[in-house]
Amino acid sequence: MGAHEAKVDRMAGHMVRTATQSGIELKPFYSADDISHLSYEADLGDPGNYPFTRGLYPLMYRDRLWLKSFIVSYATAEETNQAFRQYIANGLTDLRLLCDLPTQAGIDPDHPSAWNSMMCGGVATYAINIYEKMLDGLPLGEAVFEFAHAGMSSFLYFYGVLVAVMENKGIDVKKLRGNSINDPIRTKLVYSCPDFPTRIDRRICLDHIEYSVRNTPNWRPIAPNGVDPCQGGMDAIRELGGALAVATQVILDLAERGITIDEFGPMVFALDAESDFFETIAKFRLARKMWAKIASEKLGAKTKRAMQLKIGIRTSGLSLTSQKPLNNAARVALQILSCVLGGVNSLDASSIDEAVGLPSLEARVFNLDTQHIITHEANIPLVADPLGGSYYLEWLTSHMEREVNKYLEEIEARGGIFACLESGWLNEVMEANRLKVQREKAECKRLVVGVNAFREEGEEGTVNTAIRDVAYKTPSVSMRENLVAEVKAFKAGRDMKRLKPLITELYRATKEGRNTQRAVIEAAREGMTVGECVGVIRAGYGINYDPLQEIEMPDFVREITKM
Amino acid sequence: MSREKKIRVLIAKLGCDIHERGALTLLTVLRDEGMEVIYTGRYQTAKGVANAAVSEDVDVIALSDHTGSLPIIAQSVLAELKKIGVTDMKVVSGGLLSPQDIKDLEKMGVSGNFGPGTPLEMIIEHIRSAAR
Repeated sequence: MGAHEAKVDRMAGHMVRTATQSGIELKPFYSADDISHLSYEADLGDPGNYPFTRGLYPLMYRDRLWLKSFIVSYATAEETNQAFRQYIANGLTDLRLLCDLPTQAGIDPDHPSAWNSMMCGGVATYAINIYEKMLDGLPLGEAVFEFAHAGMSSFLYFYGVLVAVMENKGIDVKKLRGNSINDPIRTKLVYSCPDFPTRIDRRICLDHIEYSVRNTPNWRPIAPNGVDPCQGGMDAIRELGGALAVATQVILDLAERGITIDEFGPMVFALDAESDFFETIAKFRLARKMWAKIASEKLGAKTKRAMQLKIGIRTSGLSLTSQKPLNNAARVALQILSCVLGGVNSLDASSIDEAVGLPSLEARVFNLDTQHIITHEANIPLVADPLGGSYYLEWLTSHMEREVNKYLEEIEARGGIFACLESGWLNEVMEANRLKVQREKAECKRLVVGVNAFREEGEEGTVNTAIRDVAYKTPSVSMRENLVAEVKAFKAGRDMKRLKPLITELYRATKEGRNTQRAVIEAAREGMTVGECVGVIRAGYGINYDPLQEIEMPDFVREITKM
Repeated sequence: MSREKKIRVLIAKLGCDIHERGALTLLTVLRDEGMEVIYTGRYQTAKGVANAAVSEDVDVIALSDHTGSLPIIAQSVLAELKKIGVTDMKVVSGGLLSPQDIKDLEKMGVSGNFGPGTPLEMIIEHIRSAAR
């Protein structure tokens, strides 16, 4: 016998936890007694009926599948356009637009701080000419779009650009469908976006919503975001609680502008599909139920539409690992399944190579195919809310409702969601949970396969290596140099006689407290860049033109501010 | 009581990368290990980072980035350090890295070059040895 006899350990891989990912302690089983306090009519309701726990529509996925979406944004407008066309051919139904990181921060590519992250994470969509290239030949009047950006300036500006592109093409903007994240809490809590301080964020959030409600009725101009706070450290309770608090505050703020919740219509939440399977399903069912109750009981909604919450998903990027990336296929498939069982409306699932770089075409087609297999081979979507009535799931949904309500009461007691942001309390909550998770991982009380358990010994195999190698690579130095030259030429080539009065109007609208959205559309049409949009609005508030305080205000803007 | 000088680390993020979780994790983990750690926050310039490293008298600069631009970022920081006459600063990096990035960084003398999910004890050990 050799010295290395193989040993069998039947306890290898035993459960290390008795609680969900968010720390909800579980019993070994649940029975009718655990849900005897629930009433079918009041707490669940048939799909399509208040409080929509079981889904928004009576037929659910039978007559409308969830929208299949991806953020598609590569280094150049041409590549991005090409990718959109390929994904549409493979079943993409929802186009999520994004841009590179400097643009999301509200600066142009010729700003000195843009260099390090230029064309990273997306196209530098600095002005309308890039949008025209990026969206060339795509069905603008028929597609569903989403703005997934970080900075609040992005929603105001890119909605403006998209409307201008549609108007230029003679397409009725009333056909514009989709949503903007436009969440002023997430932008600061998670990203510390430098474009605007919170008081400006809060105003332009409302400017965008107000204009959209009156002019593009099929556009959902805000989608309070739980995904990114959750990725930043919040657990499921605080993720959902935060989104509910933002949505509630925004509806209250809109009332001051004379817009009721019934005029506003359905709310959209952008939520996170995490790895904890049942907790994630419970969260989606609960989100619909809690919004329906808040809308009708607290915000006075009269119409069914206004009580309906649509859920858009981003699956957890954080759950993906660069070790043994093939394992990400299992993670993402389970996360997609939890979304379908939870009755979500749109789904942007991560790809198996996302811990390595921007997703490759092949990884994304695999991702769409996973959804097609769940639909057409596993037949999961045939019946709405198939887990409804499960003792465990109903208990979990009800337990989480109590926990989320406690969190909402605490936010209220601390002066509301904006006060909780400004005081730093939200960040403390997020950080405390982030550290708790980090400790649990370090102590192996929370296992991540291939990272702190079941690690690969020796060389990586060919499949994993291939996944790593196909991931999209970041742009080279010469591509960055070309872009800076391109932006400078674009700026120099504009008709300033036409542009200047339009930028003047944006400056004045900002200063005089009028809605800025129309002024942004008009100036963007004539070539105002995103950096100029941010700078001019900042100037309207009398603060430094450059959010990063490295460049001077351009002369033509200085002239405007002195007029 | 140990009289050993504490290791001083500057964790830096340059440009507009918003992915902060790696940097924040490292911040707490290294502090728990008894190191003195300063985090620059996001949206920093190479010049600012080089100056901070000198004025804070750190042993190691740890660059964190998830845009795939670590070689470009490291190069800019090294150039700024050189401008102010610092040629022996230990620079380590972590974040999104391709195999080619790792080769390029090693050529510049930047070590570590850890991808996402690297065991924390490995990073801690590397920073300890870099600071020696």
